[in-house]
Amino acid sequence: MTGIVIEGAARSFGSVRAVDGVDLTVGDGEFFTLLGPSGCGKTTLLRMIAGFCELDAGEIRFGARRIHQLPAHTRDIGMVFQNYAVFPNLTVAGNVAYGLKARKVAGAELAKRVDEALALVQLAGYGERWPHQLSGGQLQRVAIARALVIRPQVLLFDEPLSNLDARLRVSMRAEIRELQKSLGITAIYVTHDQEEAMSVSDRIALMQSGKLEQVGAPADIYRNPASRFAAEFMGTTNLLSVGALRPEALRLAADAPAGWPRLAGVLVRAEMLGPITRLDVRLSDGTLVRAALLDDPGRSMIAGDTVTFAYDPARLTDLP
Amino acid sequence: MRLAIPHQQRMPLAIAALGFLFLGLFLLYPLFNVFSASVLDAEGEKFTFANYLKVLGRPFYRAAVTNTLTIGVIATITTTLISVPFAFALARLPVPGKAVILALAAMPLVLPSFVSAYAIVLLLGRAGIVTQWLNSWGIGFGSIYGAGGIVLVYTLTLYPYVLLPTMAGFRAVDVSVEEAAQSLGSSPRRTLWTVTLPIVIPSILAGGLLVFIETLENFGVPFVLAEDMPIFAVEAFKLFIGETAPNPSSAGVLGVLLILTTAAVLLIQRRYLSARRFATGTRAAPPILKVGLGLRIAAAVYCWTVVLLALVPFFAIVVLSFMEFRGPVLHPNFSLDNFRILFDRSMRPLINTLLFATLAAMAVTLVGVPIAYVVTRVRSTLATVLDVVATLPFAIAGTVLAIGFVVSFNSGWLILTGGPLIMVLAYTVRKVPFAVRSSSAILHQIDPSLEEASISLGRSPLQTFARILVPLMLGGILSGFVLTWVTVASELSATVVLYSGPWRTLTVVMFQALESGGGGVATAAASTLIVVTLLPIALLYRLVRRYELS
Repeated sequence: MTGIVIEGAARSFGSVRAVDGVDLTVGDGEFFTLLGPSGCGKTTLLRMIAGFCELDAGEIRFGARRIHQLPAHTRDIGMVFQNYAVFPNLTVAGNVAYGLKARKVAGAELAKRVDEALALVQLAGYGERWPHQLSGGQLQRVAIARALVIRPQVLLFDEPLSNLDARLRVSMRAEIRELQKSLGITAIYVTHDQEEAMSVSDRIALMQSGKLEQVGAPADIYRNPASRFAAEFMGTTNLLSVGALRPEALRLAADAPAGWPRLAGVLVRAEMLGPITRLDVRLSDGTLVRAALLDDPGRSMIAGDTVTFAYDPARLTDLP
Repeated sequence: MRLAIPHQQRMPLAIAALGFLFLGLFLLYPLFNVFSASVLDAEGEKFTFANYLKVLGRPFYRAAVTNTLTIGVIATITTTLISVPFAFALARLPVPGKAVILALAAMPLVLPSFVSAYAIVLLLGRAGIVTQWLNSWGIGFGSIYGAGGIVLVYTLTLYPYVLLPTMAGFRAVDVSVEEAAQSLGSSPRRTLWTVTLPIVIPSILAGGLLVFIETLENFGVPFVLAEDMPIFAVEAFKLFIGETAPNPSSAGVLGVLLILTTAAVLLIQRRYLSARRFATGTRAAPPILKVGLGLRIAAAVYCWTVVLLALVPFFAIVVLSFMEFRGPVLHPNFSLDNFRILFDRSMRPLINTLLFATLAAMAVTLVGVPIAYVVTRVRSTLATVLDVVATLPFAIAGTVLAIGFVVSFNSGWLILTGGPLIMVLAYTVRKVPFAVRSSSAILHQIDPSLEEASISLGRSPLQTFARILVPLMLGGILSGFVLTWVTVASELSATVVLYSGPWRTLTVVMFQALESGGGGVATAAASTLIVVTLLPIALLYRLVRRYELS
């Protein structure tokens, strides 16, 4: 088990600085996520760690060992790909055994570890199947088993859930998190989905234009975004003259303590989403404020109504 | 100091270096020598353009240029006119036996075209069976020697080059585009002319270009049918054989002109096609159209007629090879005598053919597959240049390349003339573009993340290539191998320049028998060649089908 240190990593493609001087320390056994919009450099940074992308400058260490000049196949990494990358010419067991055979594991030991890995991802008994007989979710489990079975120093996930349907994504991400924690392997996870990032990560690095925008625990980044970009990428944000405010920090004035500041305006749109209702309210100065309220059967509002919100001033964030 | 080559680039760079070494030595160097032969005097010492003036100053060679180009253009037009309706019928009309038609339609691509030409002579020539039969009824027809016969044979043997891509083009048309046109009030007929055909035109042109280039380079068909008519590839060969001076300057001139013509055509096509990419995001093959009984019958008759007509000459050769020849005259006494004469003389030509085809197919695979890997997986100027150089042999006539080989390797530090190796090397260079193309096509369908997964699991790039890519490409590599094998077995244009002594092939035997009027041996050699060609194809078909069924 290993921590990862990245110092001054940089890479340009033509005139584009894909990764522009990134410094990062990932703790031993930590689940660390690189989050950001497409083209922010998160995948390039992950591929640098994996050894598929050369650094123009900087270095990467696993523990005390400098690895950024090692060939990819000697870095001892387990990687899970967006499109699964399950070898179609090998059975499920053949896929899982692939890395072990490269490490000269053979015989009963090989069979035992393949079975264990398949059981770990709930695919016990699937060893003799061929990849084309499996569903997308099962293929991704094979890919995870294949990465885990070699007991790598570091696990890398490159948007592993984006090819799965929404329901499966939610259950798989919880499984990935549990597996990683039970094995204690340091993991770096790349995604563009902030909800996914918040659900699985110990810490998140939010990236933009090849640079780190903010690094911190999920709740920390959500509640205390360091920039307007961070605030808006992590969720809907109301940018008011006094600061930034999340939609759920607003309450109807009637339900709020008397001392909280008020905001009054005209309801433009109300969206009932089940557990919550979203309200878009235009203030008298023209600003559109978005609020999210828990569903309340006793409440009824239609567009054109005048609405007054109140908010806890402690939940205002100052953005530079 | 460590050599600063990033580790993930080492294998592609090593492959590229070996690829450039091979193609540099056996493609660029011979071509350079053809070029320099054309601009040096007869002693090979002084620089001069006199050779060009001398060759082009003679009406005979100017006629060779015009004849070749005219025949090429006409044959391209006739193949296109035949193939486009054929392709449309196969793609969009209910024609019975489509799978069989397709399999039969691909056959002229692998069967040697000069065999078809020879069959036309035996059937429709001066002493031809059909000619004599018609004459006995008092019916005469024009001579099939010269341009008419050559165009006929080109049309019958080269039409699949247009048919296959055009059919793929018709099948790739997104139906919703046609439906959009009809919902806007366009009749089905108008839709076909204004929407469907324009989308397919790039495919038609790509196929037509292949036909045109084939006609420029073809040696065997004009050799059999041209008689006194001068044709580029044949005259280059005759000049080269006849030139006694140390420097084959005149042959060099014709070679350079041939290369420049092909290159010009390719450039024009590239410029035209790059501006016209109508790849439509297709979801499913367009439906078979509902048409009346009359059109259905007409389509079926048309498709079957074209397919069978193209194969009649080959079938005729096989039948005729069992008949007795007295001089050029045929007698209907069926026996195995022709084959006995052919093989009693020597089994060597057959063995040579099989041996060379196998060696060349192996070499082409070894050279072509790694180059395809670099070309598809690496984005750099180096990879682009390698791609261009590896495609170059496609534009070089076999005769010209072979002349370059003789000029380059008959003296100096590397002497290959007079042996079998020079033939295998020439075949290999000629077929490399096909191996690179077919392997690239498969590699494009293999996601690079499979390789990365293998590498991240601890296999080196080389092991990954052997353990993941090669198994995944195996089907394609195998079909490429068989196609190379088959086309090398019937290669004529480079062979007639390069063969020597005991290293004659079946095509050489046939070529020599034609020159000396030995019809029996020629037909026997031709039918043996047909069997040698079709057997591996049939085996491959079975193998592929079994593979797909399992």
